[in-house]
Amino acid sequence: MLNKIWAGLIIIGIVFALAQDINDEIHNTHQNGVAQTFDFSIINQNTRTQIILLVNQHKLNARIENEQRIIINLDRQSPENFIKLAELNGNKNRLQASIVSKTDQQLSLLLPELHWQKLRVLTQAAFDMAEFAVKLALGLVGIIALWLGLMQIAEKSGLIKQMVKVVQPLLHWLFPNIPKNHPAFGSISLNMAANVLGLGNAATPLGIKAMQQLQQLNPDKNKASDEMCMFLALNTSSVQLLPPVTLIALMGTQVADLLVPIILATSCSTITAVIVAKVYARRSQHKNFSSKN
Amino acid sequence: MQQLSNLIIPLIILFIICYGLIKRVAVYEEFIAGAKDGFGIAINIIPYLVAMLFAIAIFRASGALEFLLVLLSPLANFLGFPAEVISMGIIRPLTGSGSIGVLAELINTHGEESIIVKIAAVMFGATETTLYVLAVYFGAIKINNTSYAVQAGLIADFAGFVAAILVTFWYFS
Repeated sequence: MLNKIWAGLIIIGIVFALAQDINDEIHNTHQNGVAQTFDFSIINQNTRTQIILLVNQHKLNARIENEQRIIINLDRQSPENFIKLAELNGNKNRLQASIVSKTDQQLSLLLPELHWQKLRVLTQAAFDMAEFAVKLALGLVGIIALWLGLMQIAEKSGLIKQMVKVVQPLLHWLFPNIPKNHPAFGSISLNMAANVLGLGNAATPLGIKAMQQLQQLNPDKNKASDEMCMFLALNTSSVQLLPPVTLIALMGTQVADLLVPIILATSCSTITAVIVAKVYARRSQHKNFSSKN
Repeated sequence: MQQLSNLIIPLIILFIICYGLIKRVAVYEEFIAGAKDGFGIAINIIPYLVAMLFAIAIFRASGALEFLLVLLSPLANFLGFPAEVISMGIIRPLTGSGSIGVLAELINTHGEESIIVKIAAVMFGATETTLYVLAVYFGAIKINNTSYAVQAGLIADFAGFVAAILVTFWYFS
């Protein structure tokens, strides 16, 4: 399933971008090789090279380099297509164009050509994200180390054992294959507690700790066990009582009104996650059972 | 409520350390023993995260999502919910930053009071970035065959999506 989703995202993305680019090429959407005429006014009468170019109501500073070349200065308010063109040519603040003809008030310009724009953007996004993924993973080093260290103390001091005794009866139904008094119950419940309280920074390392313990119990080290799938389903459906910090940052106190609907909706997704994971687990056990006979 | 989460982490740390001291655990040494795995785990995660994030980046940069929305909006109209929230439903399991972007955009165009923004915010709060969680958790223990975890996660996300629409309409009517 994941193979198909993964390949699907990539194939749909590239084919879709390619189709758009081919369409752009056929209809010459970017007006490659078509001269465009703009009004202009001279700022400095002495040199006559500093001008203001009028592009769809935007006033852009520009400098005429020589008979053939003009450099247009851009900022954030400049027209979008100009910024895009400049970005693709290396410097988003300066756009070079060639002058086709010039009168007292009007300049006819040939802007740089734009080909396969979607595919270029897409390639850049893919490379940027690959780099970002590494940064993201390395950014987790410290926080994972911190919580694994604390968990080690909690295990050695018997704190986890105490906790397991309390949560075991509740969690046994969800994770029937974890042996009695196993510390995995402790990590799982701590991870869930962190999720409920919206403590994302603590939840991930604690979840990783739980996954490691589940992996020790896993008979097939290459394939996710039923326990892992249940744990993942619980995590991805996000059981939480407090709204995530990012939502508060975006919406401010408005979030308070949304608390009840969020809790109701998240309960629905969590209950669904448990049911679906249970159904799949039963089915895979059934399969194992019949293949053994 | 919000103050609680500011308070709770320092208190947990305090409690774990004190309990360790009472039980005569060599707290510093044990902390190091546990923490030394942190780097290895993060390194394990890298290939999984690169694979996932780069595929999602390609999908998002292509503009296929916008096209999908145009295709799906008649269905949304037919079922009687705003088509704009579909973008949140699709992007939410894929990327966290992407879904924040979608929400910010919806707030910009429709305002915080609109039902569209409320539904989208409930969706955002009610589900998680499924594919990211999957990559990190399975990456940490180097499992490639995720069995049925994706199906379970995505079906749960879909349930959260439907529930967010129904609950929000019911709650604010």
